[in-house]
Amino acid sequence: MGGAHETLSVSAALNLAKKALEGVVVRIIGEVSEVSIKAGYKAVYFSIKDEKSSLPCMMWNNRYAECDVDLRVGMLVELTGRFSLYAAKGRMNFDVSSISKAGEGDLRLKVANLAKKLASEGLMDASKKRSAPTFATTIGLVTSPRGDAVHDVLRTLRRRFPLARVVFAGVPVEGEKAPLGIIEGVRCVVDAGAELVLIVRGGGSYEDLMPFNDEGLARAIASCPVPVITGIGHEPDTTIADMVADVRASTPTGAAQEASPSPELLRELFVRRSMELDNSINRRIDIEESNLDGYLKKPIFLDSTELLAQSYLATDSLAQRLSVALPGNIKRNEDALSRAKTKLTAMLPHVLGSYEYEVKASYEALLNQKDALLVPFEHAMSLTASRLHDLSPLAVLSRGYSMVQDESGSIIKSIKRIAVDDQLNVFFSDGGFTCVVTEVPAVGGDMCIVDLRGIDRRDDDTDAVSEEWKETLW
Amino acid sequence: MVETQTDPGSLTFKEAMDELDGIVASLESNTLELEESLLRYERGVALLASLQTRLSQARQQVDVLIGKLEETPEDEVNDTTLS
Repeated sequence: MGGAHETLSVSAALNLAKKALEGVVVRIIGEVSEVSIKAGYKAVYFSIKDEKSSLPCMMWNNRYAECDVDLRVGMLVELTGRFSLYAAKGRMNFDVSSISKAGEGDLRLKVANLAKKLASEGLMDASKKRSAPTFATTIGLVTSPRGDAVHDVLRTLRRRFPLARVVFAGVPVEGEKAPLGIIEGVRCVVDAGAELVLIVRGGGSYEDLMPFNDEGLARAIASCPVPVITGIGHEPDTTIADMVADVRASTPTGAAQEASPSPELLRELFVRRSMELDNSINRRIDIEESNLDGYLKKPIFLDSTELLAQSYLATDSLAQRLSVALPGNIKRNEDALSRAKTKLTAMLPHVLGSYEYEVKASYEALLNQKDALLVPFEHAMSLTASRLHDLSPLAVLSRGYSMVQDESGSIIKSIKRIAVDDQLNVFFSDGGFTCVVTEVPAVGGDMCIVDLRGIDRRDDDTDAVSEEWKETLW
Repeated sequence: MVETQTDPGSLTFKEAMDELDGIVASLESNTLELEESLLRYERGVALLASLQTRLSQARQQVDVLIGKLEETPEDEVNDTTLS
């Protein structure tokens, strides 16, 4: 402590330092590392840091409100202010008079240009926006697996429409790799059958939300086959992902609400449907009942004779007409019959007369023909008789031939059948005799010698012989 | 519609909703035979009951495709992202 002229009290020393510090106004750039914004405090307290150092900062609430910056940890900021000393604790502060996001101007310009480009391509057209299905039962959720956003969405869906199955892709939502991760997550949940996709993220600085301003992600959202609902950061943060999405919600919870029917809506719908069902069926039954009543009151059902009254009257009338008409008709027919009979009787002799004459004439003509009819037949018969006579064996024998039989009566036609001592019967036309063979010549010889012992002449018995022959021959 | 009645439980929520809508519309048109009306009414009531039961008994199913989901905090925890 050499160079110290006098000994000071703590307060005096700090006062000295305070005076020295507070005159220095500087602009500092650094990353926000701690933030404490509490209701009731008059100021906002935070720290900024770089690789080596850290500086506690405070900013009066009224100034903080004016500068329109939402302080977040990790945010790169540019501060203007002066050093100050809080004597009660002996602590140095940086008293911030104004604050702005560092480098933000450039980023915003780039994002705005990209938005313009995509809009000109039609990616943000209102006509392209699809509405979310009312009862999506498979909901894709793409967000960070850590933090509040994912649970805000799950809790909201659980409360409103627990029936929905959630297919979840936990992806980085900050940093350079985030856009590709989110694109992959969307592809994954769509492949898993999501009927709509929620892309959500909790609040953050403008830079934090930069992955949602990525061109590739914007194109992936615009070409997603199912509707995409975004809930990124807080109002009024609007990213390009929000602009190209089909539905834009301001928070993750809001996005979950867009993706699910409210319990009130469902309850109301069920009550209404139930009433509609009951009313329509009751109305229908009432109509049928009143129809039925109408029929029951018809005269037919009140008095069954009504049903047949017309028929009864008709049959009665017909019976009456029949009873009058029938006897008259019979009488008329009898008269006609009797007239016809008389006429027929008168005509009969005349009619028969003509037929009698015809029959008689035919009879006579027939009689005249009688003899003439037989002549051809008689002629034919005599011809046949003479032919029969010519063919008779008797006629052959009468021409000088004779016939030889063996003892059994068979006719001998060859010398080969004759042996010595055979007894043969020989016949002529007017009789026959029996003889015995005494000698037979060798085959080819002319004659055989017969012995006429025991001759049995039958010359006077021609008729008997011819009868016997006939039996043999025919 | 009598010929092939699917068990309401095997329809998706949306299919059951759509069928119920169709039944209400057809009943209101009042062009059906009474028997058919009664059958559809019965079917409508069955669908409605199935839908309500499903909603009241449903438990959220979360299939994690990518990443590891942190444990779900209790519903009582404040919804910090509600604006």
